[in-house]
Amino acid sequence: MKTTKTNNRRKFLVTAGLGSAGAVAAVVAGTRKAQPEGPHTAACAQPDGYHLSDHILKYYKTTEV
Amino acid sequence: MSAEAAAAPVTLHRALAPEEAARADFYALIARLLQRAPDAMLLAELAAAPALPAEGDRALADAWRELAAASAAAQPADVAVEYDELFAGVGKAPVSIYAGFYSGAPAVDHPRVRIRGDLAQLGLVPQAGAEPEDHFGVLFDAMRVLAAGGAGRGPASLAEQRRFFERHVMPAAPRFLAAVGAARQSHYYRRVAALAAAFVALEAESFQLD
Repeated sequence: MKTTKTNNRRKFLVTAGLGSAGAVAAVVAGTRKAQPEGPHTAACAQPDGYHLSDHILKYYKTTEV
Repeated sequence: MSAEAAAAPVTLHRALAPEEAARADFYALIARLLQRAPDAMLLAELAAAPALPAEGDRALADAWRELAAASAAAQPADVAVEYDELFAGVGKAPVSIYAGFYSGAPAVDHPRVRIRGDLAQLGLVPQAGAEPEDHFGVLFDAMRVLAAGGAGRGPASLAEQRRFFERHVMPAAPRFLAAVGAARQSHYYRRVAALAAAFVALEAESFQLD
C-alpha cells in the first residue's frame, strides 16, 4: 500500500513537470556563486546512520541558492 | 565477520530522485526571491530559463513563463524598490511577509515559537542575524533543506516534510501570496506570487498522495 501511494506521488510530480524541471535547477545553480548559505544551520551533530557523501554534497551545493 | 565490523553503523548514500531535487530547486528559488529582490544575475538567469514541459501542470508552467518574461523586462533597481515598498515599507508594510501575521495568534502562541521548536527537532537552527523563523523566505528555505538535505543533515522523510508544510506553510502561504498578487505596488512580485502559489498548490496535492 505504501509503495503504491509513493509511486502515485512520484507519478503525479513527474506528470506535473517536476521530473524534468532542469530549467529551475539551471537558474538555481547559475546564481549559487558567492551566495551565502541559507538561513539554517545544523543543530549539534546527531548521527542518524544516514550521511551525505562528498558526491551528494557537491551536487546539493550546485542546487542551493 | 569480526565483532567490530558487525557493530559498525551502515552508512547509506541515497541519491535524490529528480522530482524531489526539482521540488528543492523550486523551494530554493522562491525562498531566494522572498528573502531579497533578485539581482541582475538572477533576473538574467530567469529570463533565459527554458519553459517547463507544456504537458505538465498548467498553472505552474504558465506562471514560470510569466516570471521569465517579467524577468527579461525588469530592471534590478526597479524590482528592489518594489520589494522594499511591498514588504519593508516605512511604517506598516502593505504586505506582511511573516506567517504570524496571518495566524492572528497571540504572542504566547506565536507561530515563531512553534516553527523554532519544529526546526530544532529536525536538526535545524537559524543562523545568527537571520530573519525571524516565520518569514516566508525562511519557511521556504526550511522546506528546501527538508526536501534535499543541507545544513549538515540529509533529506527529511516525506512524513516530516508534510508535517512541517501542513503546520507552517499551508496555513498562511495562500493568503500571503494572494495579498502580494493584489497589492497595488506589485508588478514583478505578482509573477513571483503566482509561481509560488502554483507550486504550493502542487505540493499540497502531492502530499495527499503519500
